[in-house]
Amino acid sequence: MKRNSLADETETELPNVVIPSSTCDEGSVFASLSASLAEIRKLNGVIGYILRSSSSAMLDLSELDKISQYAALAYQLNESSLDIAKQLNLAEVESVLVEGIKLKVLFMRIGENKISVFMEKNANHSDIIKRILI
Amino acid sequence: MTEACSTALQTIISEFRNISPEIASAFVFKKDGEVLASTETVTEDQAKKVSTAIDDISEEADVIGGVETLTIYGVSSQLSVTSMDDCFLAALSSREADEKRVKALTCVVVPTVVRLVNQVSTALPENQLLNIEKPEAKLTEDFEEPEQAEQAEETEQVFEMPEEPTPVEQVVEPLEEPKPMESLPDPLEVDSELIFPKPPVNQFMVEKIGGLLVASNTVRVDKDVVAMWSDLYSDREITQVNVETLEGRTLICKFKPMSKADGNAKGIIKIPEKILRTLNISEGKLVIIKPVILTAREKKS
Repeated sequence: MKRNSLADETETELPNVVIPSSTCDEGSVFASLSASLAEIRKLNGVIGYILRSSSSAMLDLSELDKISQYAALAYQLNESSLDIAKQLNLAEVESVLVEGIKLKVLFMRIGENKISVFMEKNANHSDIIKRILI
Repeated sequence: MTEACSTALQTIISEFRNISPEIASAFVFKKDGEVLASTETVTEDQAKKVSTAIDDISEEADVIGGVETLTIYGVSSQLSVTSMDDCFLAALSSREADEKRVKALTCVVVPTVVRLVNQVSTALPENQLLNIEKPEAKLTEDFEEPEQAEQAEETEQVFEMPEEPTPVEQVVEPLEEPKPMESLPDPLEVDSELIFPKPPVNQFMVEKIGGLLVASNTVRVDKDVVAMWSDLYSDREITQVNVETLEGRTLICKFKPMSKADGNAKGIIKIPEKILRTLNISEGKLVIIKPVILTAREKKS
């Protein structure tokens, strides 16, 4: 498995190190999530993920040449889903699922950590949500 | 999308709660924020902001093949937004809602209806789409309880032309009373009636026509429309039209195609004053025109 860290999802140049988290609490959540995501990555139909906290980032994607595109989508999902939820008075957003013609992406926010899991359309996203929330 | 199509969409999304009570609200809106149908009040500004947010996601979503659906899961509720041609359907439901059912409604039923409506809109001129709701209204009328039907009959206005040498024919279509079963008609006759196309419906704006040589019981209709009727019913002679006001008053009278002297303006029907008075309408109002096609049996009788 190839891992890269990502300081800013919209940047195209990606550093090859994981930037350590600033606090112990955040760090432990980040570590726990990265472990869960590593397991999720092995599931059928999952093609990759991006995990980002306020100070650290990690990704594992099968199509490395499209990293910047996946990162830009993850960033936009975070911004726009909040806008939509605010407009329609939706209580706290737990997760967002966007289905395209080719793939679907699940976006979640756990504290300061933002997770984007990219998968085939037939993959079971409900199962992935459960695994992340455990 | 016409008003009639919006009404059709409104009817469908209003039924959502009956099919899946967990669906709290739904609305259909265009990319420019125009709300086409909604079960609860949604402002154009809200719709526009939602549309912009979805557009922002779509711009970055090439990597997954665009945005077909977007679902935002809240703690107790979820919002599902489906992209359909040039508009979106948003449905807010509780997390307990049957996901398959919600998906069937939001991703299959409504998008299919919208696509169908768009296809029909491109195939038919707008004035023929304005009457999409009419059959439904007629159906409810037909299924009224006998008491209600009687009441309706009582309150219905009857329009009669003054007795003059050239009276306009029967004015109001009375509610039909149940008839005893008749003997079965000739099967060949039934077949020919079944394949007969439904009379086309056109909407026109009223203009008054007057003068010494103008028959008081004859309206003038766009000659292109008359030609279209002739094409449709080549083997039938059409001599009368059914004129219906938006208030529901109807009248059957003779018609003539508009001549050059009449100007032959499109979307205009020229009506003599006597008929205008009978229908209680004035110039500039809209009326619906249908050719009166007599079946073989009606002709015989």
